[in-house]
Amino acid sequence: MSVHVAGRDLSTDPRVIARALRLEVAATPRPLRIWYGILLLLCLVGAVGAVLSLPPGWEVLGTSPTFEWGILIAAYVFFAITTSGLCLASSLGTVFGIEMFLPLEKRHAILALLCLVTAFGVIALDLQFPVRMVFGAVLSPSPRSPMWWMGVFYGVYLVFLIIEVLSMFTGRWRLHRIACVLSSITAIVAPTTLGAVFGVLASRPYWHGAFTPPAMVAAALLSGTALLGIVFYCVYRFRLAGYERAATIAIPAIRLLLTIIVAVTVLVVGWDTAWGLYGNVPGLSDATAAILVGPLALSFWIFRVLLGLVVPLVLLVLPRTRTPAGLFAASCLAFVGLFADRAIFVSAGQIAPGTAVAGVLPSRFAEYAPSLVELSIVVGALAALALVYTLAERHLPMGEHQGHLVGAFLGSGKPDAPAGSEAPAPGRSAEPLFNGAGGVL
Amino acid sequence: MSETGPTGANEPRGTRATLSRRRVLQLGLAAVPAVCGAGLLSGALATSHDVVRAAEPEPAGVAYDPSAHDWAFVMDTTTCIGCGRCVEACKLENHVPEDPKLNRTWVELHVLAQDWTVSVSSPDGGRPSPPVEETVPAASAAPVRSAYFVPRTCMQCENPPCTWVCPVSATYRTEDGIILVDEKRCIGCGYCVVACPYGARYMVPAGDTTPKGVAGIVDKCTFCYHRITRGLLPACAEVCPVNARIFGDLNDATSAVSVAIGEKRVRAMKPALGTRPRVFYTGLEGEVD
Repeated sequence: MSVHVAGRDLSTDPRVIARALRLEVAATPRPLRIWYGILLLLCLVGAVGAVLSLPPGWEVLGTSPTFEWGILIAAYVFFAITTSGLCLASSLGTVFGIEMFLPLEKRHAILALLCLVTAFGVIALDLQFPVRMVFGAVLSPSPRSPMWWMGVFYGVYLVFLIIEVLSMFTGRWRLHRIACVLSSITAIVAPTTLGAVFGVLASRPYWHGAFTPPAMVAAALLSGTALLGIVFYCVYRFRLAGYERAATIAIPAIRLLLTIIVAVTVLVVGWDTAWGLYGNVPGLSDATAAILVGPLALSFWIFRVLLGLVVPLVLLVLPRTRTPAGLFAASCLAFVGLFADRAIFVSAGQIAPGTAVAGVLPSRFAEYAPSLVELSIVVGALAALALVYTLAERHLPMGEHQGHLVGAFLGSGKPDAPAGSEAPAPGRSAEPLFNGAGGVL
Repeated sequence: MSETGPTGANEPRGTRATLSRRRVLQLGLAAVPAVCGAGLLSGALATSHDVVRAAEPEPAGVAYDPSAHDWAFVMDTTTCIGCGRCVEACKLENHVPEDPKLNRTWVELHVLAQDWTVSVSSPDGGRPSPPVEETVPAASAAPVRSAYFVPRTCMQCENPPCTWVCPVSATYRTEDGIILVDEKRCIGCGYCVVACPYGARYMVPAGDTTPKGVAGIVDKCTFCYHRITRGLLPACAEVCPVNARIFGDLNDATSAVSVAIGEKRVRAMKPALGTRPRVFYTGLEGEVD
C-alpha cells in the first residue's frame, strides 16, 4: 500500500519505512547528522517543557496577574508575524510580478506554513483551554474582540497556505496562483489584527494607539525577510536546489528588501522611543524608562538596537560586506533582534501597570522572568521549525517551476505545466550534503 | 507604587488634618483593637445586621428580575479603617485562592504627602492587618498631608473593556450590570486580565478552584451575584464594621447607595477611559486611580 505525495509513491508499510530510514541515516552526511542530532536534542528539551506546561502545570510558567503575558506570547507574536513577513516578501514576486523576488516562492511558502504551525503550537501551550478556543471562536464568536479577528485571519491564512503548498507540489498552478494572492492579502491583514490585540487596550498606554498595527506589519516584514536571508544563504552555501538563482537573483533581492526594512525599522523604533519621552504620560513614560534605562535596557540597547539594527544596517550598506555571508550575518542578527523586539514590546506594555492587580502593587516596574519551562518551549519550537524545514529542504523538490511565475497569472507567463516538470536542480547532483535518499520511499 | 499628584492649583477638598508618619502608624495600630471589637460586635448583631442592611430583596414568591436592578457600590474612604475583614470574607465566601497575591477585593492605604506625592500600599491585599508604614517608603521621606484606606474591587463597568476583548464571549455583562465569567467558555488566554484598567482579574492557579471548581480560567468579583440575587448583601459589605462599603440598587432612589450618591460627592476611578464604573468613591484626593 502506498500514498502518492508530491509526485512520489510513498509506502506505508512499517518495514519499508524502517528500511528507508536506515538507508536515509546511512546516506546522510556527517555534518547533517550532527545538525539533526542537535535539533532533535533541542526538540526533546522543548517537548519536556511542553509536557510540563500542560494542564494542570500552569504553575511552571513565570507569569502572574501583574505580568500575565510572558515570553510564550512574545514567541507567538514573533512566529505569527514571521509567517506574514515571509508571505509579504514573497508576494512582491508572486502577486506584484517583480521578477527578482520570484525565486522566493517555494521556500517562503513552506517556511510560512511551518512558522504559522509553530506559532499555533506555542500559543496552544500558553492557553489553558486551547480546544475551547477553537470551538468557542465558532460557536460563541465575539466580533468586537481583536483577538477573535486575529484567530479568524490567521486561521484563514493557514488554509490558504496549505492550499498554496499542496497545489505547488501537485502542479495545480491555477489554484496555486489564486492561493498565492489570497494568502498574500491575509498575510497583510493578519498581523494588523495581531497589532490591534495590543493597540486597542486603552489601559496600556505603551501598546495603545493606531500606530501599533502598522508597526506590527513592519516588524513582520523584517523578520520574514531576515529568515529568507538566512535560508537563501544556506541554499547558496550548500548549493541546494536553485542555488544559482539564489546567488544571482534571490540574495540581491533579499538584501535590497532587508536594507529598506531595517532602515524603516530604525525610524519606527526611534519615533516609538521619542513618543514615549514626550508628555510624561502615565504608563507610557514609565514603560519607555524601563526600555531605555530600566529592566529592559540591556535587551533594548544590545539586542534590539546594536545587534538587531545598527550592525545589520552597517553590514548591508558597506561595500565590503555586500556579500552572501554579509547578508547571512545581517539576517541572523536582525532575526534575533526582532525576537528581542517582540519580547520588549510584550513586556513594556505590562511593566508599568499603573494600578494594583488583584491586590498586588508592583514596585515601579512589574517583574517577570521567564521560567526554564517557558524558555525550553521557545527553544524547542525554533528547533522543531528548523528540523522540519531541513527535512523539507532535503526531501521536497525545491527547484523553480514556470508555474510559480505569477506573471502567467497576470497574463504574461507560460501556460500550466504538469507536476514534476521543474527545472533540474543543479545542487542536488553537485553537492552531496542535501542529496538525500528521498527516492527510496 | 507611587503616583505624582496635582500641584497646589488643584487643592483637594475636605478638611483632613495633616498627618505625620508617626500618626499614620498610630492610626494603623489603633485600628487593630477597633477591628477586633467591631468583629465581635458584628458577629453578635448578625441577625439584626442582615435585616437592616440587606440589599433590597424581591418580594416573596417573585422571581429575580435582572432588568429591574442596577447594582452599585459606594466606597467611603472617610470611614474605612482598613481592617481587611472584607478581604477575608470575600476569600471565604467565593473560594478565592489563599495566595495573598490573588484577590477579588483588596484594601489599599493611600498616603498623600505634602508634595502631593501619593504612595499606595496593600501588603497581602490588606487582608491580615492594616498596611503599615514600612510599606510606604515614599511617604517616609516627607510630611504626610493625609492618609486613608481605599477598598478596591471590580468596577462592573458599563463599558467594560474585558467583555469587549474576550474572543469567545466568555465574559459578559448581565442586565443588572454585573460582569460575569462563563467558566465553561473561558479559554484562559488572559486577555481580559491585561485589558482591565483596574487590575480586577486574575487567573485561578492550578490546585485552586472557583466556586464552580474550575482552575485555569479567569476569576473576578461578581458583587457576590449568588447573594445579591437572593436579596443579600455582598459578603464584603456584610462584614464591614463601619459601613464603608455601601451597596445597593441605583434603580431604587431610596436605596443606601442612591442616598449616598445623592448626599456625598463621589467620583469614579479613571473616568477618562470612559468605562463608566459602578463603583464610586467618596473622599479620594489627588490623582489617585
